[in-house]
Amino acid sequence: MPAGSMPDAAPAVSPRTSPSDPGGPLLGVRELAVCYAGSVRALDGVSLSVPAGAVVAVLGGNGAGKSTLLRAISGTLPFTRGSIVGGSIEFDGRRLDGAAPAAIVRSGVVQVPEGRQVFGELTVEENLRAGGLAVARRLRRPARDEVYDLFPVLRDRRGQRAGLLSGGEQQLLAIGRALMAGPRLLLLDEPSLGLAPQLVRRIGEVIAEINRRGTAVVLVEQNAALALALADAAYVLEVGRVSLHMPAAELAATDQVRERYLGVGTAPRATATPAGGRPARGLPELVVDGLSVRFGGIAALSEVSFTVQPGAVHALIGPNGAGKSTCLNVLTGVYRSAGGSVRYGDHELTGLRPHQIARLGVGRTFQNLALSPVGTVADALLLGRHRLTRAGFVAAGLRTPRARREQAEQDRRVRQVAELLELADVLSRRVDELPYGDRKRVELARALCSEPTLLLLDEPVAGMTAAESVRLARVLVRVREALAVTILLVEHDMAFVMGIADRVTVLDFGRRIADAAPADVQRDPAVVRAYLGVPAEPATPAAPATPAAAAAPGAAEPAAGGGPR
Amino acid sequence: MTQFGTLLINGLSLGCIDALIALGFVIVFKATRVVNFAHGSLLLLGAYIVGRAHGELGFAPAVLLAVAVTAAAGVLIAAVLLRRVRLADPGTLAILTLGVDIVLVTELTRRIGTDLLTIGDPWGAAVVGVGPIRLPETRIAAAAAAVVLVGGFLAAVKFSDWGVALRAAAQRPQTAALMGVRLGRVAAGAWALAGGLAAVAGLFFTAFPSPGVSGSVGQAALGAAVPAAVLGGLDSTTGALVGGLVVGVTSTLAAGYQDQLAFAGRGFGSVVPYLVMLLVLLARPAGLFGSKEVTRV
Repeated sequence: MPAGSMPDAAPAVSPRTSPSDPGGPLLGVRELAVCYAGSVRALDGVSLSVPAGAVVAVLGGNGAGKSTLLRAISGTLPFTRGSIVGGSIEFDGRRLDGAAPAAIVRSGVVQVPEGRQVFGELTVEENLRAGGLAVARRLRRPARDEVYDLFPVLRDRRGQRAGLLSGGEQQLLAIGRALMAGPRLLLLDEPSLGLAPQLVRRIGEVIAEINRRGTAVVLVEQNAALALALADAAYVLEVGRVSLHMPAAELAATDQVRERYLGVGTAPRATATPAGGRPARGLPELVVDGLSVRFGGIAALSEVSFTVQPGAVHALIGPNGAGKSTCLNVLTGVYRSAGGSVRYGDHELTGLRPHQIARLGVGRTFQNLALSPVGTVADALLLGRHRLTRAGFVAAGLRTPRARREQAEQDRRVRQVAELLELADVLSRRVDELPYGDRKRVELARALCSEPTLLLLDEPVAGMTAAESVRLARVLVRVREALAVTILLVEHDMAFVMGIADRVTVLDFGRRIADAAPADVQRDPAVVRAYLGVPAEPATPAAPATPAAAAAPGAAEPAAGGGPR
Repeated sequence: MTQFGTLLINGLSLGCIDALIALGFVIVFKATRVVNFAHGSLLLLGAYIVGRAHGELGFAPAVLLAVAVTAAAGVLIAAVLLRRVRLADPGTLAILTLGVDIVLVTELTRRIGTDLLTIGDPWGAAVVGVGPIRLPETRIAAAAAAVVLVGGFLAAVKFSDWGVALRAAAQRPQTAALMGVRLGRVAAGAWALAGGLAAVAGLFFTAFPSPGVSGSVGQAALGAAVPAAVLGGLDSTTGALVGGLVVGVTSTLAAGYQDQLAFAGRGFGSVVPYLVMLLVLLARPAGLFGSKEVTRV
């Protein structure tokens, strides 16, 4: 992103339009609508209010619009080609929407970005200095001393480059850096992401302490346990809308939250067992044995082992930062492993290059769509056929009979896959014209076009609406019935996983904490703790399909083998 | 051996000038990710102003005027042209600077016309001899100016608020904006600095032993700055300094040993920096000190 072309020519925060009403909220977001690239609507009529001195949690799955909401408040939407197309954001009686980020910081709203984003080349002290650039010089030293008092570890390491700090220390630095600007409202984007449990607890204490000193907090979190313990009120976002809003304590007790984070209440599986008549013959087995991956000094995966049975749907789940995508990236040769092995049939996959692994019949989809936006759906699917195409560009250009025959055969196969995935009607449409859920299915179709024997899906329903997610589950069930393919999927959405998987491996902080059938995983105390932070209450056992759970609103929708949210 | 020593010292002093040019080029890239093809013409502008003004104002005031005007021109390019197309891709902006370069060079060439414009510096064509090694006085002045300016620049980057903001914005522009850094001002500061450095570099670039200010000076300067900046790593100020010295020394050596290098043809000296650049890039694709790009799947 070019720094020199940043939108700080935008107007400053407009002058106070109304006298500060002592009873009114500190931050008032009204009917906010946000679009990306002029068309994709990420937020639609979101209203939210933060009273002075309060902690407000914003929950929701991947792609729900949580980060977009924070970007809108902090004025950084233009960095991602987003813009506010409706509604308003008011802070302490002043309009923030349309103001430049630097002006918003100066009015007292400061964001701690997701993923810490410390300036790794700068020292700890310089990072703090960068955080204090927006305030008067005389205020900086007291602010820095206060940060050092709050986080003594930063004082000890003030001369070190921030890139050398551990993940937890970097998070403390990112929070301290934001405090340097003397915020009245602190926006926190996933502060517990990828941190070990003790550190998550420490971050929780830090946020409570900051709040006790008088700063209001908006806390965006995947870790519902942390967020609900800290917050006064909570909002749940779903596909760009507020789907729930209530006091945090009440929300924590609702079935919706249990269902969202544990998949409890999902209708029982409608599919047969994996062995039942599916064409699993000839499919190799995938054996992951003692797999370890390191990034610098940080262990992303530590001795993870699991086996994916031929023809099965195997799910790899875990909280954010657990190492799921890392695992997938090792299987496809994008990352190198530090130890252990991955065997697919007779082949050892560690050490192979991505295209060599693809040639062994391993297809994948990506967490964030990796499709060319300008091509048609048919183009995308033909690209998937690449590994099975023989005619070179000379033969294809001369339209030799053989090339023509092959072309016809490719088109026929593409149509078959498109029909299977309910995409036949949109084959000639451009990819970027399609809604998000359809684009995710196009990616799946492209992977299937390469006729994989093992299909890896990275968060297939992330950012989908409930209806789209149900549709995808239905499609996947059909795929495994029609084609001989083993599926390994990584997913956050527990309800979806519980509805479709034969076996579930749970990762937490790079380690395997469970590996069992879906129903057993739901009951596993270690899994419940990893997701909700509390042991399962004996009074409401986390068993699927109890009458109480079935009566929960989210479970009312019947699913044909798939899992509704 | 004497010849080698003379060439080495001359090369290093020329390298100081190249480093000044490359530094300005790199500062703009670091702060804005824009490859500034107009840098050569800013240098020409600075040299032109000194050449025209020194008769009336005297040498030192003329230099100050040139620095002020080129810095202002840099800010103007940043504020007026590049901000109009905000959020455009840096590649597009680079092409825009190419346009600016063409306009500036054409106009300045027209103004210079057939005049033989000289810098009018106090050192003239004087040459100092230390033992067997002979060096023009202008080159000693250039090296001294380079040391002072680069030292001042590095100190500013290390200790000033602007320096902290520059480094923060260079590393993570979006996060820097979240901390209240005004990216537009940081960028304007970088352009101003690049302009000022270009004026000083232009002064020494066109002083003795060069024949004087002509329309082709900008092109020649950019020709030295690009390999220096690229082999050092486009976003590294240290890289620009080292790259500048490497370019100065290698091109001077190649020119000095032209007879021995006759097989490579005449003018090999101006090709050598690019050969060195290619070799460095083969071994280190991000340059000697450049930061590597990391992609995430």
